[in-house]
Amino acid sequence: MLIVDDLHAGYGASEVLVGTSLAVKQGAVVALIGANGAGKTTTMRAISGVLRPSHGRVLLDGKEVQGLDASRIARLGLAHSPEGRKVFGPLSVEDNLLLGAYGRLPKFLGFKAGAQADLDRVYELFPRLKDRARQASGTLSGGEQQMLAIGRALMARPKVMLLDEPSMGLAPVIVQEVFRTIRRLKEEGITLLLVEQFAKSALEVADHAYVMERGRIAVEGTPDELRRNERVLAAYLG
Amino acid sequence: MNPSIIGQMAVSGALMGLVYALIAYGFQLTYATSKSINFGQGELVMVSAFFSLTLTNLGLPYWAMVPGGLLFGALLGLVVERTGVRLALEQKSEGWILLSIILGLFFFSAAENIWGRDDRPFPTPISADPIHVFGVDVTRLELSVAVGVFAIMGLIELFKRRTLLGKAFEAVSADRDAAELMGISATRTVMLSYALSGTVAALAGILVSPITTVGPTMASALILKAFSVAVVAGLDSGFGVVLIGMALGVLESLASFYLGSGWREAPSLTLLILALAVRPTGVFGKAVIRKV
Repeated sequence: MLIVDDLHAGYGASEVLVGTSLAVKQGAVVALIGANGAGKTTTMRAISGVLRPSHGRVLLDGKEVQGLDASRIARLGLAHSPEGRKVFGPLSVEDNLLLGAYGRLPKFLGFKAGAQADLDRVYELFPRLKDRARQASGTLSGGEQQMLAIGRALMARPKVMLLDEPSMGLAPVIVQEVFRTIRRLKEEGITLLLVEQFAKSALEVADHAYVMERGRIAVEGTPDELRRNERVLAAYLG
Repeated sequence: MNPSIIGQMAVSGALMGLVYALIAYGFQLTYATSKSINFGQGELVMVSAFFSLTLTNLGLPYWAMVPGGLLFGALLGLVVERTGVRLALEQKSEGWILLSIILGLFFFSAAENIWGRDDRPFPTPISADPIHVFGVDVTRLELSVAVGVFAIMGLIELFKRRTLLGKAFEAVSADRDAAELMGISATRTVMLSYALSGTVAALAGILVSPITTVGPTMASALILKAFSVAVVAGLDSGFGVVLIGMALGVLESLASFYLGSGWREAPSLTLLILALAVRPTGVFGKAVIRKV
């Protein structure tokens, strides 16, 4: 599980996170919603170590990981599928997926055999990726790239997964597909922190949700509680 | 004009051009992972060549000396990364430019103090007797340059495409942050790229020295042309450097033959200026080269 305690982080002199705290329990899907610029993506980046937090703690399965390199945190079991998908464009779909499992595969040869079961699972989840396995991932459509970004994060068999704005820039029908996938992963018991601009859809799939405002958590509760909260309703679910 | 002389000039020019291409390829390796290059790369070529010469003088046979020299080049590459590049990159500064030049100057004076200022012959068991091919005389020694250049570039490309570590190298080149999120250490990958770049520089020194001799000043002659090749081809052009390197070598050789040896440097400088004016991304390049 993941615990974030009083996290501060920012870019240069401007502090974006001013004491964010949240928790994601084992097997839970937790949504993080809020307006643009509230600090949702910065929270994700500070948890995964891409951005070094200036203060506060991040506990992954009880172990403090704040201040470690992002690559260390990833190898400890946190998979962060970043905003904008960030697939490795020149590399093939399959190479992208194999790199998702980088930490536990042999580094020279025989790595594909070690990841075959996970590859099969991702291909079963996203058959279209299998059709395009040899294609350079930069040539995929936005929806396919999002599936690849999710698949790549799953390849790590993460303890906790962070998924940042998976619906960004996608056609409505693809967004529905993305949420169907998230629901299925939830049934399989994934531990997930989800940042999403479509707050309504995020609350439908989440067990618990946090609303961020100006760098800290303003409201938290179950989806039902948030839907009954007048202020949240007006600002984010209207 | 005797066409066989032109052919002769073209062939030895092209082979020399492969050495420029190899050094330029070393620039590409570090540029890919860290958008930085070692401006003291010529000194790496030179110091590694001197070190290999010392190994030979200690009685090591050629085939034992080569791996020793390459390993030394890799270590020098790591020294440059650790002392000159990493700190600057961590501060998001362009200080690596100056630091790598300073390290080059340091290597230059170290070489002068250890090995002296004179150019020295570099013994090799590879025969310098000419072989007659298509009306042109080529020596085995010259051919060994081509074999060495293509062998190491082929091996490194194979490494990048066929091994997971190589794919991780490509991932860091494509998106450093995203690669970190996969558990790939960008710092170590940059170190690897500098070690490979140093290995490539050492091989360039070992290949070219039997033809040109070894001396502290060999660095500046090689580096300017290698840099021209890298910029004209593009810092992300892959094997584009081979074509441009060979073309430049041929032009240079013909210029010094027809116009006099004082014009030897003219083609590389002309090409460099033309490329920067007309196509700053390089003939085969994709990304815009940052103005530094």
